[in-house]
Amino acid sequence: MGERQKNFNDKSLREIQKESLLWKKSLKENDESTEPVESLSGIPIEPVYTPEHVAGTNYLEDLGFPGQMPFVRGVYPTMYRGRLWTMRQLAGFGPPEETNTRYLYLLKQGATGLNSTFDYPTLRGYDSDDPLAIADAGRGGVAIDTIEDMGLLFQGIPIDNVSVSLVTCQPICNISVQSMYFAYAQSQGISMEHLTGTSQNDFMMETAITIAPGVLRPEASFRLCCDAIEYCTRHAFRWNPVSFAGYNYREAGCTTIQEIAFALQNACACVEELIRRGVSVDDFASRLSFFFSAQSDFFEEIAKYRAARRIWGRIMKDRFHAEKPRSCALRFHVQTAGASLTAQQPLNNITRAAYQALSAVLGGAQSVHVDAYDEALCMPTQLSSLTALRTQQILQHETRTTHTADPLGGSYFIESLTNEIEERVLSLMDEIDTLGGMVKAVSSGWIHSEIAASAYEYQRSIESGKIKVVGVNCYRNEEDIPIEIFEVPETVEVQRRKLERIKKERNNQKVRAVLDSIARACESNENLMEIMVDSVKERVTVGEVSAILKAQFGTWDPPLF
Amino acid sequence: MRERIRILIARLGLDAHWRGSIIVAKALRDAGMEVIYLGNKMPEAIVEVALQEDVDIIGLSSLSGNHNILAPQVIEILKQKGENTLPVILGGIIPQRDIPKLKEKGITEIFGPGSSLKSIIDFILSKNSFD
Repeated sequence: MGERQKNFNDKSLREIQKESLLWKKSLKENDESTEPVESLSGIPIEPVYTPEHVAGTNYLEDLGFPGQMPFVRGVYPTMYRGRLWTMRQLAGFGPPEETNTRYLYLLKQGATGLNSTFDYPTLRGYDSDDPLAIADAGRGGVAIDTIEDMGLLFQGIPIDNVSVSLVTCQPICNISVQSMYFAYAQSQGISMEHLTGTSQNDFMMETAITIAPGVLRPEASFRLCCDAIEYCTRHAFRWNPVSFAGYNYREAGCTTIQEIAFALQNACACVEELIRRGVSVDDFASRLSFFFSAQSDFFEEIAKYRAARRIWGRIMKDRFHAEKPRSCALRFHVQTAGASLTAQQPLNNITRAAYQALSAVLGGAQSVHVDAYDEALCMPTQLSSLTALRTQQILQHETRTTHTADPLGGSYFIESLTNEIEERVLSLMDEIDTLGGMVKAVSSGWIHSEIAASAYEYQRSIESGKIKVVGVNCYRNEEDIPIEIFEVPETVEVQRRKLERIKKERNNQKVRAVLDSIARACESNENLMEIMVDSVKERVTVGEVSAILKAQFGTWDPPLF
Repeated sequence: MRERIRILIARLGLDAHWRGSIIVAKALRDAGMEVIYLGNKMPEAIVEVALQEDVDIIGLSSLSGNHNILAPQVIEILKQKGENTLPVILGGIIPQRDIPKLKEKGITEIFGPGSSLKSIIDFILSKNSFD
């Protein structure tokens, strides 16, 4: 390639620069506000953007066309004209029978995918009848103890046609729950090749982002994550075996720069490990998926998604030598930011989430969850989750934002912000490289102190009034309008009865044998998921499997404070 | 009375959200208090450490909805051990309608979503000068 072409020739740029200086001078003379302003992540924002700010951009190299490298303008050629984003509303609470009713309701109301959340005990590998679980069973998600529960959860739902996201959070949960889902599909005569969906399966979730008792060491958690990726590459190649949960990093306190840098570095660690295991990069790369937040800084979020796509596209092509274009396309799910919701004046959250969802759509998301307005108070009621789904449907069918790809591409501001975010993310990624990569950055505790520092800084900015939150630090009401609060249905007793029956009915000799083989696989390099999918058919429980993993791999106390 | 206020901060049960509790822990430390951050524990263990460490106040955090079961248990166990005056405060996602019941059961104060760090610090300081 010859000399790098620019969008604007030097002569016209010089003229623009000259006029721009005069314009700035006139602002001061007329007493217009020139106070410095920053984006939510601290990027200085100019009063206006011009060709000067994107003078170094080469259209074909740096932007290109949708569906082509470097994918800044979207991962599909016609974006939402060809395929609307999946409206994937989170749901999960109580015993699986109860959540199943909500799933059927959401599908009937027009949801185009499911998004299963699991309760705290399931996520941490405890059965519902574990003494540690008594107050948390059925909270934050649905309780799953055995494959029977998986059947109850998806009863009446054609999972060969509906794409399902399993928000398993960490690999220790994923290895059981994803295996149960696959084994359940097999029992329904559905071939794994036909299953579409995503598991979260992010090792940082348990080791750094959401922490509870019994955390696996980062190295062990990372191994389980990669076992699932490798397994899906062989057997369920339409399934996304990991979703790098930048959303959750953000919720824990990360800035937008940290969100993207940490998620991409985590993904790089997985790519390196899979290549080390001898898997060809083009066999799995297109199934790596990402999960990002939509916070309240509208333009910064749009620029963030675009920057993330460009960075990932170039990393996959230049560093990992991916040959298929699909391997270089960063696909992502977005959730509107739970941490931005307020308990005060909860109906305001409908507006907040709608703006955030719009930024996800203008940023080219593949699937979206809109938060329910009551999530700062309780789990969503049927009314609040329906309102969230309707917010998405209004976006898809009324706003006409779906007709053209990357509609803000070419805006001097958006392009400049995209470049700036890219630069900052790359520099943070370099820092993580010098620490030895993402797994080391977690095991050393570096990541915990970085996130905690950002979270603390954010809170102080709210208290100082630097960040305004309507209803919290401005425009407060003395009296709030009360809203309906969701009651979690009885879970512990329902699950306890099932577990008692299952433990009597099942072949306990076989159960012991499969648990032994899981223990042996932990000690070797054998792929654990290969064993798990068959093992769960014997109705071993999430708790039994996790106890073995914890005993074999050892647990870890993340250095939080 | 010792020079620095000693506070134990613990997250209840299996609740995995650490952001709020760590921010509060940092703010209290910056305000000159001695903070013991316990992470996730069940009520028995929280009380055991609180008594062992002879703290001036216990701070509990919960965002999972387990507060109605576990927070009153902490008070119950404290009473069983003969500790009737140790203040216990609770922060996190606590719906308004749960607050009267929790206070009736002995939770000293509750800081729901949107509470400022200053309000938490001021409350702890006021509690300590009363005692």
